Order: sequence, then structure tokens, then C-alpha cells
Amino acid sequence: MNKALRNPLIYILFVLPAFILFLAFFIYPIYTAIDNSFTSWNGISKDVKYIGFDNYATAMSDVAFWKSVKNNVYFILFSCLVQVPLIVIFSLLIANVKRLKGLYKTAVFAPSIMSTAVIGILWGFIYNPDFGLMNQLLGLFGVEPIYWLSDKNWAMLSILITNAWQWTGFYIVMVLAAIISIPKELDEAAAIDGATGWQRAMKITLPLVMPIISVVIMLSIAGAMKAADIILVMTKGGPAGSTDVMATYMIRYAITSFKHGFGNSIAVLIFVFTMIITALYQVLIARRNERIEY
Amino acid sequence: MRAMKKLIPHIFLMAYLLVILYPFLFVLFSSVKTDNQSIAANPFGLPDTFVLDNYVNAWVNAKISTYFWNSLYIGVLSACLSILFAAMLAFAITRMRYNRISAILFQCILLGMLIPNNSLMLPIYGIMRQLDILNTHMALILPYVANAIPFSVIILAAFMRSLPGEIEEAAVIDGLRSGGLFARIILPLTVPAIVTVFIINFLGNWNEFLLANYFLSNDELRTLPVRMVGFRDAYNMNYAQMSAGIVFSVLPVLIIYAILQEKIIEGVTAGSVKG
Repeated sequence: MNKALRNPLIYILFVLPAFILFLAFFIYPIYTAIDNSFTSWNGISKDVKYIGFDNYATAMSDVAFWKSVKNNVYFILFSCLVQVPLIVIFSLLIANVKRLKGLYKTAVFAPSIMSTAVIGILWGFIYNPDFGLMNQLLGLFGVEPIYWLSDKNWAMLSILITNAWQWTGFYIVMVLAAIISIPKELDEAAAIDGATGWQRAMKITLPLVMPIISVVIMLSIAGAMKAADIILVMTKGGPAGSTDVMATYMIRYAITSFKHGFGNSIAVLIFVFTMIITALYQVLIARRNERIEY
Repeated sequence: MRAMKKLIPHIFLMAYLLVILYPFLFVLFSSVKTDNQSIAANPFGLPDTFVLDNYVNAWVNAKISTYFWNSLYIGVLSACLSILFAAMLAFAITRMRYNRISAILFQCILLGMLIPNNSLMLPIYGIMRQLDILNTHMALILPYVANAIPFSVIILAAFMRSLPGEIEEAAVIDGLRSGGLFARIILPLTVPAIVTVFIINFLGNWNEFLLANYFLSNDELRTLPVRMVGFRDAYNMNYAQMSAGIVFSVLPVLIIYAILQEKIIEGVTAGSVKG
């Protein structure tokens, strides 16, 4: 028995392919990113000059960089303050209806399996100032056409709405699964004791799904730090850098204008910022949510 | 009163459903209208006469068939390779008797889930250039395979761990070695989890945009999402034709979703992969 399952050669053979790929595409890139971030390398030439922390200093003193950080923060705040309440409300609503539950779940989830690029194109059409759905709809109420994606006061909000439209349903389904897994008896007991639907939702269901909401917030933060394709497709960071996030800022410098070293320093900063926010969230908020067993 | 109370949640949910589904209908309706003028004149409903030319033109102008096959083959091949490698690793760490090393390996792989992957895009771009495979499909397949490994290992390992030990005892007594045990016993039993993981990986690869956009510059090699954006930039004067293009690229995913929605929802939420 043990002989068949203790064969070092076979073990290594089975572990190696996946592990080499893991090292090559997760660990090694982190190392090269850190290494290159201290150089002024353009990504092509043979001679690589180390310039210490200059790239980081350049980034820190660039107003456009801080603007992109601010937009990442908007992304996070919009997810946590607008999306999360909607997610909770709608998952409670779906959990409590008897009919059409399957339809709601399926339909709500659909946008999240689609290509962000195509969603970006679709919403670019909806935001079209002349005949897009948004202005046509607002036009019915006599609102003047708004240049959603080319007006720097509206562009960021337009992207946030699109992003929320794509991902809210995904999280609703996650929270819904958690709500459904709560034993019925808890709710019934509270109902017998005379609790109203509202009281049961607030005092029984919500506290019990707090851990999963915490996961949703974590994933939203990770998603907000990752967002790049939706911006590239819809506005390319414009108008005038007003929708740039850290990732698009990085891409612009590193690939489009060959500042490979500088781009890598931004990659390291994205990594560090994501880790800091995740750690802060874990320490300050998530720590209090223990696992719930029924 | 009671009926009213039951109706209220449905009103809110229907409103939400409308917000989700109407944009798709809007594109579908627009795709059978003649041009921008007729979209502007009648934005919300169906046109009086259906024009199917847009579909033909989009298919020809956007050369959708080429890009469709590129996406399909890259997506399927990468998903299969990551499942094979992930299943082998999962088998080794859950079923073979090297518990300490296996625990360390598994923790390493879990770490991979935490790394924000667009901060890795640039260094990977550098590696691809060093390997001199930029602008070939390998430049997408390798990162796609690697990127899916942590998630696939986690799901497959969880599933394999739940298989009873008696199965392999019986197999070993019947004379199977570890290789045969993996290929003939464990792998077939893991098929339900493999299907889920395959769909998730495939959809992720099919939809991927960032790497596909920057790692390939040869037009013939591009994938469907990248091509759609290029098509939008080239034909954004003609929204009716663009809508037809959107329909082409959304339809395959919607069909897969309609057939396999339970598996997809279960898989995506289990791994909680996003984007």
C-alpha cells in the first residue's frame, strides 16, 4: 500500500510541471519586477543601469500617478459603499421569494461570465451621447444629453456603473448561497417568537452571513485593484487621465512608451498597495468575524 | 394586503432584471436596424423591418471566424493543459504519502491566489520577450495555463481528498502502481470536478483581454475580445453593424451558460475567481 504511494520519482514527476509553471509565472515575475524596478531599462537594450529608488521617487512625485491611485480608491469605495448594500438587499430579496428564484439567480449572474472587453463595448454604445440608451432614456425626462465617457466629470462614474453592472450579480449569488445554507429552524424559531420579516433579516440572517460579506468585500478590493481592461476598452484612461487607475498608468508607461524599469516600479507598488489594503482590512475588520458552524 | 406583500419583492427584482437584461435586448434590437438614424429614431423597440445584412457584414468585415477559432483553440488547449498539470499535482499532494512536503506545496499554491495578477503582467511580458515567443500563441497559452493552476489545484485537491481511501487500497491490491492509480481510478472519479474547473478556466481564457491585447501584435493571431475592440474602433460610425458583432461574441458564452449554468455558478463561486 505505502510502497505504491511512496515513490519519490513518481511524486516528483507529478509535482514538477505545475510547480515549475507556478515558479515561472508567479514567483520569478515578482523577483524580476522588483529587480527591474531599480533600473532605467527600456525593456530592449542590453545594458541595464541601476538607478536605486529613482523610479519610485518619480512615481511618488507624479501628480498623474496619484490621480490613478485616487481612482483605485474610488473603485474600492464604490464597491464597498454602493455595491455591497445592493448585494445584501437583493440577495435577501431573492432568498425570500418563493417563485422565480431560479430565473433571478440565472439572469443576475449572466453578465459576470462575459468578456469585460465586450461589456465595455456594449456600454460604450449605451453611453453614446447621440443615440445611446442612457441619453435616450434621460431624454424622455427632458435631461440634456450628457457626454458620459468624454466628460471628465462623468467618465469615472460611468465606468464604475458598468463595473458594478457586471459584477454585482456574481456577489449576489455568492451571498445567496450563504443565506440558503442557513438552517430553516433559526428563522422559524424567530418567527414563532413574533419577529417581523425585517427583524429576522437584520438580527438572524445578516449576522450569519457576515463572514461571506467579508469575503465579498475582500474580493471587491482585489477586483478594484485589478481593474484595467474595462478602462482600456471604454476610455483608455482618458479624458486627460481622469479615469486612469494604477494598472493602466503602468501599461501606458511600460509598454506604450518603453519605460520598462519605471513600469515595473508601478507593478511593485500595485502589489504592495494591494497587500497593505488587504492586511489592513483583515486586521481592522475581518478579524472579528469568526467562522460559523451550524 | 397579503398578496401585495408578496408582490413587492418581485417588483424590485423585476426592475433589477430589466437593468441587467435590457442592455442585451437593446443591442439585439439595434443589430437588425438599418443604420444609426434608425436607432436614433426608434431606440427602445423593434424596427418595422428586420435587416439581417449587419450580421453578414460583421461576419465578413470583422473576419469573426478566424478570431473565433483562435480564441476557441487557445482557450480549450490552455484549459486542458492546466487541468492535466493541476490534477497531477493535486493527486500527488492529496493521495501520495509525503504529507509534510505536500502541505508546504499546497500553501505555496494558495499564495498564488493572493497575488494581484495584473502586477505580474509586465514582468511576464519581459519573460515572453526573453523567450522570444511574443507574438505567437505560446505567449498566451503559457501564462493562461500557469494562471489557472492555483484555482484548479484547490478545487481538484478538495475533491480528491474526499474520495474514500478504500478505493485505492483495492486498486493497489489488484496490482496498480501510483501512475495507474492516477490515470485509471482517481482521474475518472474526479470528472465532475474537472468539468467545473474546465468551464471556469475556458471562460476565463475566452474572455481574457489584457495579455491578449499586448502580447500579440500580428492581426491574424488575435483573439475575439481583442478583435471586437479593434472592430469597434474601426466601425464605430456604424452602431448597427457593431451590435451584430457584439451578438456574435456574446452568443457562444450565453449558449454555454444556458446549458451549464448550474455547473458554472457552482464553480465560479467556489473558486471565487473574478475577472
